[in-house]
Amino acid sequence: MSCPKTPHLLQEYFAEDLSSRPGQEIQKHLDQCAHCRAELDLLLSTRDQLEGWQEQSVPHWDRGMELFRREHRSPAQEQGFFARWQWFPTAASFAMLCLMLFNTTIVADGDGVSISFGAAGGEAQIARAMEQFSEQFSEQFSEQQQLEREALVARFEARQDNNNVQLLEAVMQQSQQATAENMELVYSYFEQQRLQDLQAMRAGYQELLDSDYQTIRSLQQLAQYVSYDDTLIPQ
Amino acid sequence: MNAIDEDDALIAAALKGSAYAWEKLVRRYEGRIYNLGLRLTGNSSDAMDLMQEVFLGVYRNLHRFRGDAKFSSWIFRIAHNKAVDMNRRKRLMTVSSWGDDGDSVDVLDTVPGESQQEPERQLNALQGNELVMAMLARLPLSQRLIVELKIFQGLTFEEIAGLQDISENTAKTRFYSALRKLKVQLEEDNVLS
Repeated sequence: MSCPKTPHLLQEYFAEDLSSRPGQEIQKHLDQCAHCRAELDLLLSTRDQLEGWQEQSVPHWDRGMELFRREHRSPAQEQGFFARWQWFPTAASFAMLCLMLFNTTIVADGDGVSISFGAAGGEAQIARAMEQFSEQFSEQFSEQQQLEREALVARFEARQDNNNVQLLEAVMQQSQQATAENMELVYSYFEQQRLQDLQAMRAGYQELLDSDYQTIRSLQQLAQYVSYDDTLIPQ
Repeated sequence: MNAIDEDDALIAAALKGSAYAWEKLVRRYEGRIYNLGLRLTGNSSDAMDLMQEVFLGVYRNLHRFRGDAKFSSWIFRIAHNKAVDMNRRKRLMTVSSWGDDGDSVDVLDTVPGESQQEPERQLNALQGNELVMAMLARLPLSQRLIVELKIFQGLTFEEIAGLQDISENTAKTRFYSALRKLKVQLEEDNVLS
């Protein structure tokens, strides 16, 4: 058995807070009407089925980071540390220009530091400071120069002496070596000559002996011949 | 710091160019938007497309967010609009796999055939999230959106009416119709199984 209130009542059921007055009326009807109650139970069961959804994790993606970084990249981030100091050369140039335009003079002397603007002030102070500075500088320079010169001469002399000693040592060593070499040469020459003479003398004696032996043989042969001839002579 | 204040702080930092704040803001909402996409589109690929479009829309319009509404409401309004746009584009390109936009029933849907019976058979085998997606896929987008906003996002009918530019009664009627349709589907599936 159907109920004519079902569609409207169930539409309102999901809209109303059941603790409110309309909500309480809906609840009252549901307690009395089995058809509406059964229909509601089925709808709630369907809703429960949907609410059983388990949250799924998101697959990996870049979350628009590339786009974000590309569009929010500032020139300072692009160029790094030095980009932050780009203003410095311009500021320094501007400061120098100001100093020149206002003819700024900064003087540091024994009395302290003074800054003056314009051409009128400070010229006498500059001249005085320059004079003092040049005097001090020349005195200091001459003293320093004298000391340096003396030190240089002493260093030169020491080096020269050292060079001379080294040269003499080298010459002596050279001459000693040369003498020794010459003596060795003379000795070897004489030795060689002596050996040659000895050989020549031996050869001479041998030749003399050979010629003496030949002479004896000739005489023996002559003597034999002579004795043979005597036998041929008829007695 | 509560969630709304934290959202506001993250938005302010992101607008000043903090990539960390932007990433944190996205991480806070990406899960809810992705799951919304899964329920509305029925598949992971379209859900990812929808989520990326939503966050691109958020990024492009973040400077317009005034803070007089909750950021979560604002982002779900964007998601709602993007889902409608996406459905429209899909319908223009192909025969809709998202169902009809509106309460009118497509003539082709009333014709019995394999295309109607096949999802029912599949529905019996499905469980959990897949079952929910298959059930929602058989609703027209307007009803699916109301179910999404009411059940999963917990909006009131007044808020839904404002978001969809419809009357509160229309929102209630659509929700009730959607729930009844889903109930009938489940009853039929139970009978078939």
